[in-house]
Amino acid sequence: MGYLDKEKTDKLNQEKRDRGIGNLGSPKNPFDYYAREYGTVPRDTKRAPFQWVSEVAYKNVHRIVTRGYDTTELMEEGYGVIDVLFIDYQARIPTIEEEKMLNYVMIMALEDGLSSPAAISRIVARSKTFLTQACGASIMAFGHAYGAYSAFGNRLEDYLKKAESENLTLQQAAERLVNDNLYDEALGVSSLMLKDAAAKRMIARAKKLGIAGKYIEFTEAVVEAAKSASSEPVDIDMLGATGAVMLDLGFSPEATWAILAVTRSFAAGAHYIEEVEREGTTRLGQPLTPKEDYDGPADRPVPPLSERPALDRSAICKTPAEWKKRFESMKSVRGSGFAIVEEIEDPSKKSGIKKVGKLSD
Amino acid sequence: MDRDPLIRRKTSISYKTEEKTVMRGYNLSDLAEEGYSFYDAMFVLFQNRIPAEEEEKMLKYEMGVFLEHSMSPSAVGAIGVSAGRPNLPVCVAAAISTFGGVHGPGAAHGYMLNKYLERAEKEGKTIDEMAKTLVDEYMDAKKPVMGMGQPQHIDSDPRAEPIHLKQEELGLEGVYLEFQRAVEKYFHARRKADGRSYVGVNVVGSGNTALMEIGFSPNAGWCIGSVVRGFSCAAHALFNMKKGRAWGASRNEPMVQMIDLSMIKYIGPEDRIVPKQDERQEYAKKQKEEGEYKKWVI
Repeated sequence: MGYLDKEKTDKLNQEKRDRGIGNLGSPKNPFDYYAREYGTVPRDTKRAPFQWVSEVAYKNVHRIVTRGYDTTELMEEGYGVIDVLFIDYQARIPTIEEEKMLNYVMIMALEDGLSSPAAISRIVARSKTFLTQACGASIMAFGHAYGAYSAFGNRLEDYLKKAESENLTLQQAAERLVNDNLYDEALGVSSLMLKDAAAKRMIARAKKLGIAGKYIEFTEAVVEAAKSASSEPVDIDMLGATGAVMLDLGFSPEATWAILAVTRSFAAGAHYIEEVEREGTTRLGQPLTPKEDYDGPADRPVPPLSERPALDRSAICKTPAEWKKRFESMKSVRGSGFAIVEEIEDPSKKSGIKKVGKLSD
Repeated sequence: MDRDPLIRRKTSISYKTEEKTVMRGYNLSDLAEEGYSFYDAMFVLFQNRIPAEEEEKMLKYEMGVFLEHSMSPSAVGAIGVSAGRPNLPVCVAAAISTFGGVHGPGAAHGYMLNKYLERAEKEGKTIDEMAKTLVDEYMDAKKPVMGMGQPQHIDSDPRAEPIHLKQEELGLEGVYLEFQRAVEKYFHARRKADGRSYVGVNVVGSGNTALMEIGFSPNAGWCIGSVVRGFSCAAHALFNMKKGRAWGASRNEPMVQMIDLSMIKYIGPEDRIVPKQDERQEYAKKQKEEGEYKKWVI
């Protein structure tokens, strides 16, 4: 389509200028609103046209290729999902021991009873959705507390870097990590696995297979530091064991997060199926919330609109002190969000390729 | 620490105590220690059984070949979501959620096969006869035959026939493969008779046939296919998050970006004046009476 021609543009703008549109003609605007173009931006011919850029994979009519390997050829040569995960994320074929270890990790990550991913999958299933919708939703359960592989791994990397730059021993770095994060959900050490040997068995298997490296070594130092610092019994948990093994297998914290969340999603699919088979659906308006679970304001009459001027409470604060007072008072209004302070970070850390797509390419 | 269940359900899939996690009766940790594969675990999860070695190999092949597919709706979905830089799982969730009635419709293919196999049994027809019935009914109704055709691999999906061949090599031929092969035979014959071009079997047609043959239900097969793709979509999202340009619209990149303004082609109503509120009622009534808006309703 491109921009509207000048004659039509001027006519339309003049008509709008004459009619006036709210505050759009205000001189406070850093532009003349009534002198703007219509239509879409013409194609940019000075830069290379858009293409999907990927280091991971390409396909054409006849083949699908990941990191240089034809995927059909990979399967014909006897490779499988576990191997392709190494290829997709690390651009390499794993050793047999690495393949065995990831296989072990994925079996352990597959199912976790009725925890968050299964629960979410089942709740979505009750709305009579596609199975894929429930599987997708289950992955949303993975955050920085439940399945916190990204937070765990990045923290391990940060403190290992500190150990190197500040010339700390592994034990000193572990003690510092624990001092700074003893009660964090992503520590990888907790009271969750005191009676379940699965986490320790995984570490033992990694050692037996010759997979254990600096991340398992550091995690074990963190476990010892946490045991000393904690007032209650703690030990390595599944997050710590799985996260450390995955890092020693060469996966980044983010890759670990994704691989294990997707692995759990298979079981979330089984939970979707069982929910549909055994429990049925939920209709809009069907679930009730018992009054005994409610602790908000007592029931009260809705005032007539005419009484609004006398009742309304403005949120406008004229001074920082007023603002602070209101901010603090709003913390008691559960669900308002004032009691939560978090940083919404860009998890990618950097942005842009720059070298791809020059017209001369 | 509160360890009460998030929801209460009777479930025959798994339980978890302080001591162990048990799936279909097997301690997960013991399953891993014993040397079973992740593919074996899929059989335990969905079918409550340890598979034969050939079945395990078939699943390994099918899942592996389906995992990566470069730019499909699922990868594009993941990359699109990643442009806003949310947490990575959100991108993967979006990718898996793209699997529906057209992209990787494994369950639809499975239900189709089951429906016609049941008819063959009820109507006393052979598998071959029922395959012809299926093709004729679908093509007479101008409905796409599930499992046939792929918009990118236009002269045959590179994964599809090799999956059939692997199933045969492993000696896993049963009613599903016989039925699917017959569907393909009659589909090709019908298109040829109609003077239409060749359209090959796609990876759903062959892969889902194999999954059904080794005992998975349509939905379980769909789950396996759709979720395994999530692995590669996460890699595509991660590549874009770590090395691509956030937002996908920067003019500082040498290549025009995914949602650069110039990528928008608008074909809707022309630019027009917004009516004042005192003109509104009359304007709206006239617009309704004239009815031109109806051609834009979606």
